Amino acid sequence: MNHIACETGVDLLMDFLEGVLPAEVNAALETHVAGCERCTAFVASYQATPRIMREATASTLPPDVEASLRAFLRERTTAFNKP
Amino acid sequence: MEVPAAEPSDETLAARAAAGDDSAFEAIVERYQARVFRLACRLTSDTEAPDVLQDTFLQVYRHLSTFRGDSQFGTWLYRIATNAALMHRRATSRRPSDSLEVYMPQFDADGRHAATPAELQVASCADEMIDRQVLAKKARDVVARLPDLYREAFVLRDLEEMSTAHVAQALGIEPATVRQRVHRARLMLRGYLGELAGAKP
Repeated sequence: MNHIACETGVDLLMDFLEGVLPAEVNAALETHVAGCERCTAFVASYQATPRIMREATASTLPPDVEASLRAFLRERTTAFNKP
Repeated sequence: MEVPAAEPSDETLAARAAAGDDSAFEAIVERYQARVFRLACRLTSDTEAPDVLQDTFLQVYRHLSTFRGDSQFGTWLYRIATNAALMHRRATSRRPSDSLEVYMPQFDADGRHAATPAELQVASCADEMIDRQVLAKKARDVVARLPDLYREAFVLRDLEEMSTAHVAQALGIEPATVRQRVHRARLMLRGYLGELAGAKP
């Protein structure tokens, strides 16, 4: 496997980043990306996607939701029943 | 000087809770409630998440005695939470999931990227180019539009940052299947972020 196209590289990208590809495929992909401006840009944006989505969808537990959870469990279980 | 006692492990707490120690169950709730809520928001919506949170801990309470320790406690609990979220999504009939296929990368006849490097790069800076609150809203909406199978795998793997092996355990599927689903979700979301930031997929 000496030469691969961008499309094949994209198909293999997750496996590449997780390190589960056979060594020679891994090497072919590395060579391709290093020499391809488009793939270099693509890989950067592919890798940025989880971080951007993670930060954008972060949320904290509101106090009233926590209080409702306690009340719910107090009603349905023997937990949270001590003062 | 007082040496602080080490926090009991999840597994220790689970064993004590299963044996009827309510304070151990309360400690589990305390430890995981924020994470389960965040997961529930990502898998359903802000309005549905409080119910998913309640269902999850009720299920945990009822099924603690079935936790065998052949997976990590957190993985076991995430599996319960993911199922609770899925039941909830089924119960509240969803908007039909429109296709995100349009955001998949495009190639020419030779398998070369159709877009220019600058266009391909732009998704990387989506968070710098889009107002934070707008992006938060759009991000939640687009995650909700992913097909269920992709959403679960992507949320656990990339948003909750579980390992592929733990996601596979939590969802009861093969690691290769996790990678395939997460990959498809990443490609769609990457294209979506790129378009938000003003480029072609």
